[in-house]
Amino acid sequence: MGNNIPVGWAFGIINFVWWIGIGHAGTLISAILLLFQQKWRTSINRFAEAMTLFAVMQAGIFPVLHTGRPWFALYWLFPYPSTNRIWPQFKSPLMWDVFAVSTYFITSFLFWYLGLIPDLASLRDSSTGRWQRRIYGIFAFGWRGSARHWHHYKIAYLLLAGLATPLVLSVHTIVSFDFAVSILPGWHTTIFPPYFVAGAVFSGFAMVVTLLVPARRFMNLKSLVTIRHLEAMCKIMLVTGLIVAYGYALEHFVAWYSGNKYEYFVFANRRGIFVGNERAAANSPYMPIFWLMVFCNCILPNIFWFRFGRTNVYVMWASAILINVGMWCERFVIVVTSLHRDFLPSSWAIYKPTWVDLTLFAGTICFFGTLFLLFLKFIPAVAVSEVKELRHEIEHEHHTGILPPGSQEVIHETEMEGAKP
Amino acid sequence: MSVPRRFLLAEFATPEPMVAAARKLRESGRAGLDAYSPYPVHGIDEALALPRSKVPIVAFCAALCGIAGGYTMQWWMNSVDYSINVANRPPHSWPTNIPITFESAVLTTALTIFFGCIFYFFGLPRTYHPVFEAEEFRSASLDAFWISAELSEADDVVGLRTTLREAGARTVMVVTESL
Repeated sequence: MGNNIPVGWAFGIINFVWWIGIGHAGTLISAILLLFQQKWRTSINRFAEAMTLFAVMQAGIFPVLHTGRPWFALYWLFPYPSTNRIWPQFKSPLMWDVFAVSTYFITSFLFWYLGLIPDLASLRDSSTGRWQRRIYGIFAFGWRGSARHWHHYKIAYLLLAGLATPLVLSVHTIVSFDFAVSILPGWHTTIFPPYFVAGAVFSGFAMVVTLLVPARRFMNLKSLVTIRHLEAMCKIMLVTGLIVAYGYALEHFVAWYSGNKYEYFVFANRRGIFVGNERAAANSPYMPIFWLMVFCNCILPNIFWFRFGRTNVYVMWASAILINVGMWCERFVIVVTSLHRDFLPSSWAIYKPTWVDLTLFAGTICFFGTLFLLFLKFIPAVAVSEVKELRHEIEHEHHTGILPPGSQEVIHETEMEGAKP
Repeated sequence: MSVPRRFLLAEFATPEPMVAAARKLRESGRAGLDAYSPYPVHGIDEALALPRSKVPIVAFCAALCGIAGGYTMQWWMNSVDYSINVANRPPHSWPTNIPITFESAVLTTALTIFFGCIFYFFGLPRTYHPVFEAEEFRSASLDAFWISAELSEADDVVGLRTTLREAGARTVMVVTESL
């Protein structure tokens, strides 16, 4: 790998933060929108939660590779009574990260699986093949939809959502502590936790849109995942994109306002222009990546102010991919440009990824894609029982006439769209 | 060897008559009732007079255990059993213990809720249940709403059948547990 002193944290950490950030949209959709009773989430939550799980799996690979000797990582990181009779150092943000990410993965998985049980039961009951019935039957644990079970199920699901909500905020906060707790210019800043969380949600929604736009087309889900859903996601991308842009602006402002020479130098080196007296910063090898990041994350999302940007799936899809690129660039800028100009000019260096870095990264993208396709093939991609419940509620409201204004048109539009070949 | 239990099953096309029928049966003093639906049906908890779920209490206790366990682990490992002196900082410092304490509380609670529900509250995994004897019962997870009532020797099955038919059931049948 291309890591070396002074850039000791490169692709391993960039890709870790990128993947874990992508995962955050799934939890946001499934848990936070559930608590806020945003019922439109019902047709995309299963999909987004699966994305979370698969993204966190990819993220987990990188820190292990980054330790260099993964077999050591076991006793550095997990508090188990090994024969060496040592315990991990819990004052290290690295340890916080281990706990945050593993808790995040386990809790997301349990939440996802609990939601899946009724759907696995309905697959068991609707499939015709003997083996299909058996396999789905085993995974459904013998769920029979008893009212006595639903009674506990509803509250358990809500509680898991309530737990996942602070969890999702804590995970990226703790990831940002990996940087912010150090005393390196470019990393040592108090804005990191909120700005990382916003960035995570931003990139996560971009990934949901990237996956959902083709999936709804090829799997014929247009009547479930409507343009309204995509519009709502675009609006969230717009909001979080603006928060991220504010974060960038503030970092540069504080670097100037602080009067700290080293801090100023790092940010001048990142942007490459308006460098003031720092002539050395004019030599900014990573300037194109910084400006690509600014374009993708700060300028491009403004297209979602316009209805055209939110309703044209091609525009939306292309923007979402560019946002993913931009968020990857953000992590590159944070990790590499804070390190490559060390305090001692004699140790300045340029970081270049080697073929090992690039193929490992490409490999995780393919691994993610494979898991996702397997998910689409074998597991209901839409939360079937929740959609049935929502449909019943809508029909009920429709009959009793307590539907909010405008809903009838939406239902009609949805049905028309679903009827299209 | 125990006597195989018998159940009366009734299928409804929509949830509202099913809830009404369940309420009627329960109010007539019948025990051993249950309802089955593809999604949680509004009002069935009151109709069957189900007691308040204990899941939140269990979850709260688990959270307290997680907090206590997570904090104690860090304190004991880092300042009692294997104290590392880093630049003479105190071996026990509570602010650095907060993130892991929080995470372990969440982890313990999530695991308890999930496995507590599956094993204790739902009594699963259980791949056999007498209601599965009826092939028609497959619709309970798809699009129909069912009621089951456990029958005793003395029960008037014909009368019960008529009551359920009148309540709007589209299918009524009796299943016997296979032992």
